[in-house]
Amino acid sequence: MTVQEPIAAPSSKWSLSGLLLRGSTQFGLLVILVVMWVVLSSIAPGFLSRFNLNSLGRSVAIDIVIGFAQMVVLATGGMNLAVGAIGICSVMAFGYLLQVLGLPIPVAIAATLLMGAAMGWLNGIAIVRTGVNSFVVTLASASLFSGAMLILTRAVPYNALPPAIGEFGKAAVGPVPALLIVAVAIGIALYVLFRHTVLGRELLAVGASERAAQMSGVPVGRTITIAHVLSGMLAAAAAMMLTARLAAAMPSVAGDDWLLPSFLAPVIGGTALAGGAVSVIGTVLGALLVSTIRSGLLILQVGNFWLPLFLGAFLLAAILLERYRALLVQRHRTRNA
Amino acid sequence: MNELFSRVIRVQWSGLLAVCILAVLALTIVSPNFLSEYNAFVFLRSLCVSLLVAYSQMVMLGVGQMNLSIGALGGLVAVIVGGLMDAWGVPTLPAIAIALAAGGVAGLVNGWLTVRTGINGFIVTLATGSAFAGINLGITKAIPFYNLPADFVAFGNGRLGPIPNLLIVPLIVSVLLVVFFSRTVTGRHMLAVGGNSHAAELSGLSPNKAIIEAHALSGLLAAAAGILAVAQLGSAQPSIGADWLIISFAAPIIGGASLAGGSISITGTLLAVVLIGLIQNAMVLLQVDPYWVTFLLGALILAAVWLNRYRAVRVGED
Amino acid sequence: MGLLVEQASKSFPGVRALSNASLELADGEIHALMGENGAGKSTLIKIITGVHRPDGGRLLLHGEEVAFHAPREAINRGIAAVHQERNLIPRFSVAENLMLERLPTSRGLVDFAAVEREARKMLELVGLDIDPRIEVRRLSVAQMQMVEIAKALGHRARVLLLDEPTASISDNEAESLFRLVRQLKAQGTAILFVSHKLEEVLSLCDRVTVLRDGETTLAGASMKGMARGDLIEAMIGRKDRAVVARHRSVAANPVVFEARGVATAFGHRDIDLTLRKGEILGLYGLVGAGRTELARALIGKDKVTSGEVRIKDQPVRIRSVEQAIRQHRLGYVSEDRKFEGVILAHPIRSNIASTVWNRIAAALGFITAKREDRVAMPLATQLEIRTPNLDQLAGNLSGGNQQKVSLAKWLAAEVDVLIIDEPTVGIDIKTKGYFHELITGLADGGLSIILVSSDMPEMVALADRILVMHDKRIVAGFDNSHDYDTVSRSIMAAIHAQSGESVEKPGQAMADATA
Repeated sequence: MTVQEPIAAPSSKWSLSGLLLRGSTQFGLLVILVVMWVVLSSIAPGFLSRFNLNSLGRSVAIDIVIGFAQMVVLATGGMNLAVGAIGICSVMAFGYLLQVLGLPIPVAIAATLLMGAAMGWLNGIAIVRTGVNSFVVTLASASLFSGAMLILTRAVPYNALPPAIGEFGKAAVGPVPALLIVAVAIGIALYVLFRHTVLGRELLAVGASERAAQMSGVPVGRTITIAHVLSGMLAAAAAMMLTARLAAAMPSVAGDDWLLPSFLAPVIGGTALAGGAVSVIGTVLGALLVSTIRSGLLILQVGNFWLPLFLGAFLLAAILLERYRALLVQRHRTRNA
Repeated sequence: MNELFSRVIRVQWSGLLAVCILAVLALTIVSPNFLSEYNAFVFLRSLCVSLLVAYSQMVMLGVGQMNLSIGALGGLVAVIVGGLMDAWGVPTLPAIAIALAAGGVAGLVNGWLTVRTGINGFIVTLATGSAFAGINLGITKAIPFYNLPADFVAFGNGRLGPIPNLLIVPLIVSVLLVVFFSRTVTGRHMLAVGGNSHAAELSGLSPNKAIIEAHALSGLLAAAAGILAVAQLGSAQPSIGADWLIISFAAPIIGGASLAGGSISITGTLLAVVLIGLIQNAMVLLQVDPYWVTFLLGALILAAVWLNRYRAVRVGED
Repeated sequence: MGLLVEQASKSFPGVRALSNASLELADGEIHALMGENGAGKSTLIKIITGVHRPDGGRLLLHGEEVAFHAPREAINRGIAAVHQERNLIPRFSVAENLMLERLPTSRGLVDFAAVEREARKMLELVGLDIDPRIEVRRLSVAQMQMVEIAKALGHRARVLLLDEPTASISDNEAESLFRLVRQLKAQGTAILFVSHKLEEVLSLCDRVTVLRDGETTLAGASMKGMARGDLIEAMIGRKDRAVVARHRSVAANPVVFEARGVATAFGHRDIDLTLRKGEILGLYGLVGAGRTELARALIGKDKVTSGEVRIKDQPVRIRSVEQAIRQHRLGYVSEDRKFEGVILAHPIRSNIASTVWNRIAAALGFITAKREDRVAMPLATQLEIRTPNLDQLAGNLSGGNQQKVSLAKWLAAEVDVLIIDEPTVGIDIKTKGYFHELITGLADGGLSIILVSSDMPEMVALADRILVMHDKRIVAGFDNSHDYDTVSRSIMAAIHAQSGESVEKPGQAMADATA
């Protein structure tokens, strides 16, 4: 009986395949990001301007949290197409609570988070109870949620929010936007959750093998429900951050527009669609990459219209590269076995 | 009588048909305008694009895959056909042929990427959908093409009594699809792969070939939907297709298709589109907030999925 | 000569599945392929059908050397297999399934009248009297099997492999299958018949090849004059595998787990069993007897529909695996190591600690690799899980080490009662012995064990008491004398008495069975 040794470095000399073997997806992403930043800043000096970095930081913050909202469900091997719908519901709820009811900001934040959690809980319960695929359930609930929100609010924006909201959206600690700090704080919390808590392990165990998890006594149904509750809360958080950035609660800015970014960041960052593995840092880097592409196109005056083409192409390229890397690792392992 | 009844409920779309009939009766009673010639025309015209969009997704569900790029593909084809006719002055029929071919090629790209890379079809079509939308917006800068040939626009607006000219396209497509999936080798092989890919492979079929064929067909249908949408609107709007995602899944699923593949119903999908159209029409006639349509669509999907499970248990399937 | 396999070898990471195995399959014969679970039968079949490529050895078809790269190539050369899992499209008609890859067309459209006509001929060939227009999902398992055979013959198969065709069909259905197989033999087809059931092999087959631990122990021996004992010996080779069995006395120990008149949704009826502290209670049965399904019901994975389960003399209702572990300290080592036993993509430490995450966590559910290691490390050492570190993914381990991880997680949970299902399937012989010692050692340490196994020597070596299961009922129960011949005869007699075959009744076993 032999035990396979962990993957050893194939050779000490620097080679592309060696780097691919040793490095992780996240490392590869980081390299790509650095290259992009170097290139962009050398051909467009405006890229590193304080203004541009600040605007990039604020938009990436929201992309990160949207990515997290999808990531926690991907961890369990499901998906949540209702991230955007929960987002717009939360935007409008937040606006309503602040402007119409005049609630204090902390209370409004707590209430909005709670509402996001409740919508996630409904998704989770529907999936677990009926045994219907999460894709179908969240497709339907997305329609339900946004329909209900539109009926109730008639899609009229809330423009007269307390000024503190908009101020927070613009605020910065030194060069770092406050919104980015929020996103990073959420990221750290999620990192700890997945790395160092029972719940995190249970989420990943369910995603990696539902049967094995159940056979180890993991309450699978409850775990899936919790993933959706978390996803709802994160979508609500992203929605409030968006509201702060725009200093207004507008229903048109979220919704369907969140579908692609919610998958882009985690999937580029190495979170498997099959479940069982997440990368918080990868999701952050993935969101950063998306925002860098967007910002770079703007600064190069290519125009925002081509953005989706680049995002789509990049998503495919990133996954293909990761496949290729995994294949190399596997070949290497077989050769050594 | 009893046996007839039990045979009727065995048919998957029987419930849907009953609901549609009830909805028509109710609307006739509540709103006298419903059966007016013009309203009937508006109602029927609203079905045309939706039907093709729904079929485009249905084909993918048949082979056990999904296509998230249908809307973007339709939008891209819409501006291609518009651009060909407006900017390049290509006559109507060649323009339509080129645009359809573009849709088919885009579908082939989807299929080829899915099969060759082994990446989940969900992610592949999410990515290509984004790419198609990017090409669309990059070319048009979100500006529509307005100067379309008069014959093309006239066809899009024409009608025979309450029957819109446009309806002929989805009707022909419906018949062709029924024949395709029930009587052609390619169609049967697609459903076999969707039903049990492993078994199909052991029988000597190629699942990869079936998946690529399904994507090509899906692309053609999405392209047809895009062209029809241009004809209906009288202009090639780059935003065409942006809101197709939900309907593309809703109609086949409400019509009884299973996401697991191999089980689709053309009649069911057709009836589901009719039902959704009736709801939309009712909202207009009864002057209800049109946002209710979105809400009801979600409720309808959930109800249909739940009912299908219930029926499967009752009839003793699976 | 129909098909010749010469000196075939095949290794998978961590286990040598076949070493120099040979098979000689003549035209017009029914050739039995036998062996315990994990002996290499399915690997051999997969090599013949082009699913696997052998590492060494060669394959000759009608005297010509062949190498298959895909199942299709084997099919095209006239080798057809009927696998254990059904390979039909459930929503398609029988006729269409039969003709799927060569649907006849007229003017571009499928000619269903012709499909039906052809299908009727094919069904006639196997003597299956069903309407070819019926959907496959409405058929019984036996009918599906016949359809698959018809399909295989439709490919003009000269070599037909039947992998445990009688595992999930009734005796009557099996009879008509045998008639068909004999008829095919008369027509000159070479038939390889894989089965666990000694009786049917003895009466049906002309020759037999037996595999044990990947090697051929009987190569095409004639069935004439062959006795059951010879086959069993070839399969298990007990002479060189005699496990030192100890008589352990547990009869005086308190009862820790009890089932009274338990029935399940799966079809079990009147299940009574009593487990004492430190006892190893064997649950023996052939494939399809319902052993695993019973275990799953007992640990709360499936429903117990009536009857009573008592733990430490208290009636309990176990609704989930989680509840079984947390409240009743009852665990289950799954037979399906790769999909239920371990999470392949997760490290060893998390796998072992997965049953106790809640217990070892600090406040707020906070947990670290260190905390997991505190539980996992001693067990990894105790069970000699060979790995450089606990970071290693379970998927990178050999089968034996994976099984150790699967067992370790229950030791971590400190369960009182452990159901161990087929612990040594697909595990090499040396590690097998290790597991046997380990299980006995755990019982000596006070763990109460229900050992589910279809491995007769394992059962005879380990169990203190043996319950025999057949057709979802417990049909016999007796103390294990650890004498292989008497015990195996008693077990087989109990099973065959139920099958309605006339076998001499060993009195002791049957008397105990009704108690």
